[in-house]
Amino acid sequence: MSLMWSTESIYAVFLATGFTVGFGHCIGMCGPIVISVSLQLKDRPSFFPQLYYNIGRTITYSLLGAIMGATASFTRFASQAGGFQKAVLMFAGILIIVMGLAMTGWVPAGRIFQNAPPLAGFARAGFKRILDARRAVLFLPLGMVLGLLPCGPVYTAMIAAARMGMEAQSTLGGMLSGAGVMACFGIGTIPALLLLSQVSNVKWLKHRDLIYKFGGVMMILVGIYFTWKGWTY
Amino acid sequence: MDSAASRCLAMARLALGAAIFLVIATAAAPALAQNPEVRTTCNIHQGPCSAELAGRSVALEISPKPVKAMEELEFRVTISGDRLSEAPYIDLGMPAMKMGPNRVEMTRQGENTWTGKGVIVRCPSGKNTWFARVALPETGTAEFVFDVVY
Repeated sequence: MSLMWSTESIYAVFLATGFTVGFGHCIGMCGPIVISVSLQLKDRPSFFPQLYYNIGRTITYSLLGAIMGATASFTRFASQAGGFQKAVLMFAGILIIVMGLAMTGWVPAGRIFQNAPPLAGFARAGFKRILDARRAVLFLPLGMVLGLLPCGPVYTAMIAAARMGMEAQSTLGGMLSGAGVMACFGIGTIPALLLLSQVSNVKWLKHRDLIYKFGGVMMILVGIYFTWKGWTY
Repeated sequence: MDSAASRCLAMARLALGAAIFLVIATAAAPALAQNPEVRTTCNIHQGPCSAELAGRSVALEISPKPVKAMEELEFRVTISGDRLSEAPYIDLGMPAMKMGPNRVEMTRQGENTWTGKGVIVRCPSGKNTWFARVALPETGTAEFVFDVVY
C-alpha cells in the first residue's frame, strides 16, 4: 500500500476531508453530544467549553495518528480496540442520559448519583465534575475521551496515518506524520461542530425552560440510542 | 433597550439561527440520508464481481471471504483487452455516507491482473453497504456495490 498523494498534500486533503465530513457525517453522529453539552451548560457561556471539547477530540485523534504512524498498521488497532470503543460509546450514551436528566430538572444533578454503588465512585466523580463544570478547560478531558468514539471517517484518517508510517524513513517520522494527518482531520471537523454548538445555544431566548425540558427528554432518548448502539457494537 | 427593540433583536437572532440550521441541514442531509435507490450490484462474498467499462470487462475479487470490515483485505482486479499502461486504483466508500478518501493502490501481477491491499472500515450506524470504484486511468470507473460483514 502506498499513498496516492504527496506527503505535503495529504495534510491538505485531510484538512478538507475533516471540513466536509464535519458538515455531514459529524453533525449527524457527534451532533447529539455537542448539542447536549451546549444545552446542559444552560446560562453559562458555551463557546470556550465547546472549543476545549473539540481541542480534546483533536488531541486524541493526533495521539491515535501517532500510534498508527509508529506501528504502520491500522488493523492491529482495529483488532484490539473494539471492546474499548464499545465502552466509550456506552459511556457517551450514559453521559447524555445523565445530562438530559439533570437538564429536565426532574432529578436534581446531585441526586442522580446519590444511590450509586461505592465502586462507581470514580465514574460518579467524573459525571458530577462535567455537570458542575464551571471552568471551560474541564471539557478538554471530556473531548479527549469522546475522541475515542468509533467513527468511520476517523478510521479512514487512521488508515491514511498508518500508510504514512509505512512510507516513513523512521518510526519517529511515521509517528509525526501520522499525528499530523489526524490533527489536520480533527482541526477540519471543528468549524462544523463549533457552529452547531452555537446554533443550539438558546440562552438568549426568554422562555427557554420549555426548550430545556424538551431538550432534556430528547437527550435522554438520544442517550438511550447511543447506549444501545454501544451495547450492540 | 425598549421591549420592541429587544423583541426585534430576538427575532433577528432566531432567523439567523434558523438560517444557519437550514444551511447545516442542507449540507448534512445528503450525507445522512440512506438513498433508497442504493442497491447492491453483487455478492462479493461468493466470488468475483464483473462490470463492463469501455468495451473491457472489469472483474473485482476481494479476499479473504466473507469480506469483513476492519480487516486487511486483498483486492484483485482483472481487466480484459489490451495491456493497461497505467495502474488502476480503487476508491472505497459508502453510498449513504461520506467516509473520507480511502484509496487502494494496485500493483501489476500479470498482463492485466492487479492487486492491492486495503481496509473497509466499520460505520457505527450499522449500515454495511459499500462501494468499490475501480478507476482505469483515461478510461473511466466501474462501480461495484456490495454488503460487507461487520
